[in-house]
This record gives sequence, structure tokens and C-alpha cells, in this order.
Amino acid sequence: MYGWIWRHLPGNTWVKALISLVLVLAVVFVLFQYVFPWAEPLLPFNDVTVDQGMAAVR
Amino acid sequence: MTVRWIVRTLSEICVTAGTLIVLLVVYTLFWTGVRADDAMDGELGTLREQWSAAPAAGHHDTPGPAPSARPRPYEAGRPFAVMYIPRLGTDWSKPVIEGTATDVLKRGLGHYAGTARLGVVGNFAVAGHRRTYGDPFKDFPRLRPGDAVVLTDGTTWFTYRIDRRPYTTLPSDIGVIDPVPRASGYNGPGRYLTLTTCEPEWGHSHRLITWAHLDSTQPLAQGRPSALPG
Repeated sequence: MYGWIWRHLPGNTWVKALISLVLVLAVVFVLFQYVFPWAEPLLPFNDVTVDQGMAAVR
Repeated sequence: MTVRWIVRTLSEICVTAGTLIVLLVVYTLFWTGVRADDAMDGELGTLREQWSAAPAAGHHDTPGPAPSARPRPYEAGRPFAVMYIPRLGTDWSKPVIEGTATDVLKRGLGHYAGTARLGVVGNFAVAGHRRTYGDPFKDFPRLRPGDAVVLTDGTTWFTYRIDRRPYTTLPSDIGVIDPVPRASGYNGPGRYLTLTTCEPEWGHSHRLITWAHLDSTQPLAQGRPSALPG
């Protein structure tokens, strides 16, 4: 997979390295900005209320 | 489809999954804290601005709607008070926001909608993160009877005193935020405060509760209450 991407990037080694770096940063950004904020509430650290603080609380 | 290809693909998948997990841990342990501290500072700033823009002085010379005979209801998702707990740190101060929705708790402590207002007879109940999102209640188990929980709504200081060591209960035990909280040892109506967070520290099987009663109030103009250091 990574070999395939590397072979299909244009330019010489330096250009490829630079593009790879940008791609990695883009992936990390998308993860931190969109994927993890969605996934994190599924972890147990958010449950701090009794009965989720929902309708049951008058 | 050689064995080499299969082994290589498998290793790449493993490395990718490992990196993802490490990144998620970094996000949860570190990045949520950075974002939450930022958001809490923002909420504190909003409050300070509100309070300096509409100070209590308005009581005398505003011709508009009758001033604060009936206090404004708390607006969901909006901050309305600042909480100080010296035991959790001399500079520990967090905004209190109306509601306990997930996005509210990312920006501060959440006041259970439907529980009492600050300082009145009933139970002022507040929830906060133990871990992640700035770890506001990380040291919750260190709270002891007699510890002060000080709040201000911009006009008055409210000093509550904790009455017993943190109490562990189940998530379904909503009686702990009743006007006269169940299991708290209080046996009549009073001006109470309840704090809730998760227990164990990194889990969600139980909740940790502490109760306090209103000890004293004083107008903001009289300066900080003696329970606050500095």
C-alpha cells in the first residue's frame, strides 16, 4: 500500500518525500478534526452524570 | 499474490492500526485537554465580559425592565457562574454552564437542568469530567469534609462546605441530585450543592458524588470570601 503510493507520487525522491509529509499531516488533521471528535464520545470518559443527565432528571 | 506480498500488506495494516491507536491516545489524553482549557478560558472570558458590561450598579438607574426581582433563568449551553475549589488547586477555577450535554462538558462544568439555582433552597447539582477535557475533577477523591466550594454569579459569592467524603454510587442513582439528596445524610430541605463525576478514574461503571451545604454568601463588592486563598 505505502509502496504503491510512493511509486505513484510524481517527481524525484525529495519531491516525493515532501508530498508524503503533506499527506501524513493532512491525514492527522482530518483524524484530529473530524474522526476522533466523533469517536471519542464512544469511549467511557464522558459519562460523568447520574443517568446521563438526560430526561430522567426532572 | 506471493507470500511476500501478503506478509507485507499484513504488516502495513498492523503498523497503520498501531499508529491510529497511538494518535487516538494522544488526542484523548492531550489534545482534548488543550482544547478544553482553551474553551474554558473562552467561557470565563465571556462571563467576565458579561459581568463588567452589566454590573450590579444597573439596579439604580436602569429605567428598563424591573431589575432582578425575579432572576433570569439560566440559558442552556450558556455559562452563568464560576466555581472555585481551593482543595483542587489554588488557581482551580472553572466555568459552570447550564445543561449536562456532551458538548457542554467539553467547555466547563455542567449544571443539571432542572436542579436548583445557585444559593436557593434545593440542590444545585453540577457534573464534570474526571479525566480528559482538561481533567477538571481529577482530584475529586481528595475532597474532604469542611472543604470549600466557592461560586460566584457575578453579583454574589456563595461558599458551600463539603459535608462528607466522596460517595460512590451507580450511574442510575439519580436520587443523589434530589432537592434533599438521597444517602447524603441531610434530612430536611436546605441549600445544597452536589458534584458528580465518573468513577473509576478511567471508567464509567460508577459515579463519584460529593455533597455540600451553603455556608455563607456575600456581595461581590465585599471582596473575595475568606475561603479563597489570595
